[in-house]
Amino acid sequence: MMKMLSPVLLAMSGVPAAAQNMAAMPQAAPVCPRDAEPIPATLAAWSDKKPLMSATDEASLGKTVLAPGVAVDLALADTPAVTYIVRPSHPGGSVSHGGMLSFTVDSAGTYRVAIGAGAWLDVVKDKISLESVGHGHGPNCSGIRKMVDFALQPGGYVLQIAGNGDAHIPILIAKLN
Amino acid sequence: MLGRLMLAGAALTLTAATEPWRWTLPTGVQAPHVPADNLMSAAKVELGRRLFYDADLSADGTMACATCHEQHRAFADGNATHGGVHGDPGRRNVPGLANVAWMRTLTWGNPRLTSLELQAVVPVTGKTPVEMGMAGQEAEIARRLARDACYRTMFTRAFPDEGTIDFAHVVRALAAFERSLVSFDSPYDAWTRGDRTALSPDALKGAALFRRSCSSCHSGPLLSDGGFHKILPPSATDPGLREITSRPSDLGRFRTPSLRNVEITGPYFHDGSTKTMADAVRRHPRMSAIATSDLAALTTFMTGLTDRKFTRDERFSLPGEACGKRL
Repeated sequence: MMKMLSPVLLAMSGVPAAAQNMAAMPQAAPVCPRDAEPIPATLAAWSDKKPLMSATDEASLGKTVLAPGVAVDLALADTPAVTYIVRPSHPGGSVSHGGMLSFTVDSAGTYRVAIGAGAWLDVVKDKISLESVGHGHGPNCSGIRKMVDFALQPGGYVLQIAGNGDAHIPILIAKLN
Repeated sequence: MLGRLMLAGAALTLTAATEPWRWTLPTGVQAPHVPADNLMSAAKVELGRRLFYDADLSADGTMACATCHEQHRAFADGNATHGGVHGDPGRRNVPGLANVAWMRTLTWGNPRLTSLELQAVVPVTGKTPVEMGMAGQEAEIARRLARDACYRTMFTRAFPDEGTIDFAHVVRALAAFERSLVSFDSPYDAWTRGDRTALSPDALKGAALFRRSCSSCHSGPLLSDGGFHKILPPSATDPGLREITSRPSDLGRFRTPSLRNVEITGPYFHDGSTKTMADAVRRHPRMSAIATSDLAALTTFMTGLTDRKFTRDERFSLPGEACGKRL
């Protein structure tokens, strides 16, 4: 997997949640399409996004379900309208956007959350924000701005998106191994 | 009954508004200079803390002061530079904020920014580079904050004679909070206060090397002389101090960074071009050939400059509540 992602900056061990700020930082800005890099097979679904409306509280999470391996263009709410399960450590201002979705993991492994913006993200289990195990930038010119990896066991999870500038954000959750 | 409660509430508000600020400083450390027109108060620091973490100070609500100044990094960033809210590339490395109240110069290359009030304006409204992207939008900041009833209360408490929500008062509150970021609890500090077990023998060897080789610039309690020096070869993209003074001799001069918490405030130098403390040491004049054992001792000493309490102190963290309500 790492070989396949060789153009992509990744740090893969002991990563505190706060490290994802680094994942949001672009390296030298690529010139597109000159510097374009291929999207790895694991993230191939990125190019076909379906619309999805985000949840704004715990009660509405049941209607906002994302299957791993399916990319969506998630419609977000105004930040003040969102009641997060866990308060994000970078909450976003009142003029930003945020939201939540639920997803289920059938088999244990490392899962990558790829998003098309620099928003803050949390993967939440039992009202606890999980530590990530890696973070990085997407391939140049792919539209994937930020990737954060989590080691997950089978079960249900909540993905929280906070402090996004736009009212929509592309998202893909993909299993790496 | 309701009237009594309201009166009690008013009394509490008044108490908080007039509560004097008390510096908590170790023996021998004098309180910093505070501008006469922006005296410290608990209410002002509390407001500044909330504002420091509020991304409504940026164009699209995605970027707060704390986005770049992360407490667990002693309020540095961890990136070489940090891009702006519109995607503009960052220009210089984000410095830590420990003990900024005592610093006579505040940025890598501008000696004219000598107060935190002046400096706080730069990331919010600056254009070279654009960081938080609010140039010309200062009134919009006030408008956003004024929509929040708790902010209205907090501004009244912080500025009881004015109570105005505007950018000037935002900046004053931010500066007050930044002055409260006091860090004197590293093993090095404990050692200087007489705890002879606080630094290991290796660290003490490094301290001796540091005194000989580094302390002419990294001097005093801040481990910085606040001066501007040429350490790296000048680059074509950043003239450093010359940008302000226009003096050719200032080309490539940058402010001596404080080494407090240096272990966790990398990467290093004005452009964040050096990832490790060891490499940063080697890039200094006459240090490229430093013996491996000396370098190890020196970096061990520098590790002893880390104040872990500072990185976890709840007084400086994202506030969990305001006006008695959870945020």
